[in-house]
Amino acid sequence: MPIPVKPDRSVTTTCAYCGVGCGFKAETVEGRVVRMIPWKEGKANHGHSCIKGRFAFDYYQHPDRITTPMIRKNVDDPWQEVDWDTAFAYAAGEFKRIQAEHGTTSVGAVSSSRCTNEEIFLMQKFARVALRNNNIDNCSRICHSPTQFGLSATLGAGAASQHFDSILQSDVVLVVGANPTEGHPVFGSMMKRAVRRGARLLVIDPRRTETVDSPHCRAEVHLALRPGTNVLVLNSVAHVIVRERLYNEAFVRARCDGDDFELWMDLVGDDRYSPDVVGPEAGLDPDDIRRLARIYAGGPNSTIYYGLGVTEHSQGSTGVMCLGNLTMATGMVGREGVGVNPLRGQGNVQGGSCLGSWPHMLTGYRFVTDDVVRGSFEDEWKITLDSEPGLRLPNMFDAAVTGSFKAIYIQGEDPIQSDPNRHHVEAALRSMECVVVQDLYLSETAKLAHVFFPGSSSLEKDGTFTNAERRVSMVRKVIEPLGGLADWQITVGFMNAMGYECHYDHPSEVLDEIARTSPAYSGMSFDKIEALGSVQWPCNTDAPEGTEVLHTVTFPRGKGSFMLTGYLPTSERATDQYPLLLTTGRILSQYNVGTQTRRTANVAWHDDDVLEISADDAAGRGLSSGDRATITSRYGSTELTVSISERVNPGVVYTTFHFAHTMVNNLTSDLDDWATNCPEYKVTAVDVVRASIAQPVAGS
Amino acid sequence: MSFIETERLVTMANQIADFFAPYPSARRIEGVRNHLRNYWDPRMRQALYDHIDATGGPELRPHVLEAVAVLREAAPATEAKKAYAGPPRD
Repeated sequence: MPIPVKPDRSVTTTCAYCGVGCGFKAETVEGRVVRMIPWKEGKANHGHSCIKGRFAFDYYQHPDRITTPMIRKNVDDPWQEVDWDTAFAYAAGEFKRIQAEHGTTSVGAVSSSRCTNEEIFLMQKFARVALRNNNIDNCSRICHSPTQFGLSATLGAGAASQHFDSILQSDVVLVVGANPTEGHPVFGSMMKRAVRRGARLLVIDPRRTETVDSPHCRAEVHLALRPGTNVLVLNSVAHVIVRERLYNEAFVRARCDGDDFELWMDLVGDDRYSPDVVGPEAGLDPDDIRRLARIYAGGPNSTIYYGLGVTEHSQGSTGVMCLGNLTMATGMVGREGVGVNPLRGQGNVQGGSCLGSWPHMLTGYRFVTDDVVRGSFEDEWKITLDSEPGLRLPNMFDAAVTGSFKAIYIQGEDPIQSDPNRHHVEAALRSMECVVVQDLYLSETAKLAHVFFPGSSSLEKDGTFTNAERRVSMVRKVIEPLGGLADWQITVGFMNAMGYECHYDHPSEVLDEIARTSPAYSGMSFDKIEALGSVQWPCNTDAPEGTEVLHTVTFPRGKGSFMLTGYLPTSERATDQYPLLLTTGRILSQYNVGTQTRRTANVAWHDDDVLEISADDAAGRGLSSGDRATITSRYGSTELTVSISERVNPGVVYTTFHFAHTMVNNLTSDLDDWATNCPEYKVTAVDVVRASIAQPVAGS
Repeated sequence: MSFIETERLVTMANQIADFFAPYPSARRIEGVRNHLRNYWDPRMRQALYDHIDATGGPELRPHVLEAVAVLREAAPATEAKKAYAGPPRD
């Protein structure tokens, strides 16, 4: 039996993979990380871990890692290695030249949810004080921006209402468009524990996911709806609750706007949302819709967890509003065991949303158009701020294609691989005069960059992450930054080179600045988080040790507001030419576009994306498991290996998007959410044919 | 050339209008107006105005045109609703 390596140092920190934000003890030998041990005192994970956080940490020292700043005049030129000061001066010189030639608002920035709260805060500060505009966005634009919009509109706070442990007091768990056993495994285990203890599990998802049916986890009702019909089906659930008078009238009268409730009842109570009408259109048995509605409304404690299967639609924000409406109508909000909870994708995507990395909002979800809010930041930063909303990331790309947007600073994101309509993003980046990428590796996006800042992994810096339950936890430096600077230091260096002088000795000073300017974080400090282990916002004078459950007495907006959620079918529809609907998801061992996990031994579990297809659809195309197939959409094509699966219904195909070479975003459309421009990743009409007989398609 | 392609702006504006369509008339118009004011870069709004001035905006939903008229009459940022994502409330 091998002798375990004895560590010479152990540092407690927070995992950067999914939004669960597990605590780990990172153990090192001679400055090299050798082991990640789940932290028993971690309040998000209680000593549990998944195979990403536990084993996929070697990416930080992969041979692909770039540790020296680089510049080049043109993207076809070879890179020139330079020192940090030269890189900062070159990037700042280009940004200032471009602003002088094309205007202050011709440049922008995007922050990364792999970075800390402090680094995200500094990125939006960089845009506002150094670029002097609001062209700042974050990667939740393409995942959970509808959560911020939809939950703010209904409940008044764009974040989970509960802490994770709350699920253990739930009698009914409704999972919509999420697969926590794969995507958020540690929370998935807690959900299984709740089910084993007797909670009834309901799932709405086009695919028969592992959450629907796997060991210790079986859904009592599974609505395998046709992709794109979330709002239709959720309105039908509401229809049953209204028509059968299953709503909680006392709660609604006390806590919600009564006029809005009447309007909402009129809308969802209409016959067009009857299960008998909706069932055939959504591919469901009407009685299953009724069963799900009755079980959810019956509680007594029912809770909702949802994911990108709700948000990444042209009606993503409307779908989130549907969930907010359901919780209010049934009184399932404001105590333990109930609520509505987004399962956030990246480790700090909640922080990305909270820390003002939006073109229209400052920290704490407060509008830049609000003079009082903006004034408080002007006082702090001693500078006049732009009072107009800036551009969202997709609109930055749109404006670049028309020649109006000329430079971008991208922190830890790879939009060519992760954003919709790859061709459009490539065209946008190629049209810019300066693209600055800060990353660990030469990503697909970095290949079109003019400046490369070597970023730092979460093992190489101090700071905090905010997880999906609003829990702010410490990220601690385990090893020195391989490139010499942590990400927060890089942004400060660039900011100073742009002419806005600022200085921080430690990220704790940035959190202090966040606390001074952000009511929900006003009681936070590194010292407090160290002392308590972690703190959930809001943390202020009313709740000095943080808040586990939101909306207990009132909603942040006062009365809860029922939003009118009329169903509008997506314009992305199956046709004779594209008869199947493609939807996407994740697998346990890999993470998002795989930038990190692909560079670890986790590829032993999953080394490629495959296409799940029903036996009926495969037979009609002469396909067997293991065959290569070409998948074509209106926008492009790619090739995947076929896996015949009972998890998808006829008419639906499914894949993951973890590997760059499969280029799944070649297929996806540029349709997006009406409110936030979050892309409609979850519905793409495609055809599938054997690779050997496939014909090239335009645009591929 | 438009700041962002006109077809894209028209699609986005109509999507917003379609969401607010179930609301009573005044709230429908105010909802679209607030969204354009609080979420759109001013150059996007100006490009939409330019398109309406040049063509009348025949492909735009009627309440987009009404909302734009309201938006162009009122003005400054200080009049915009504060920290509010939804339609106006009485």
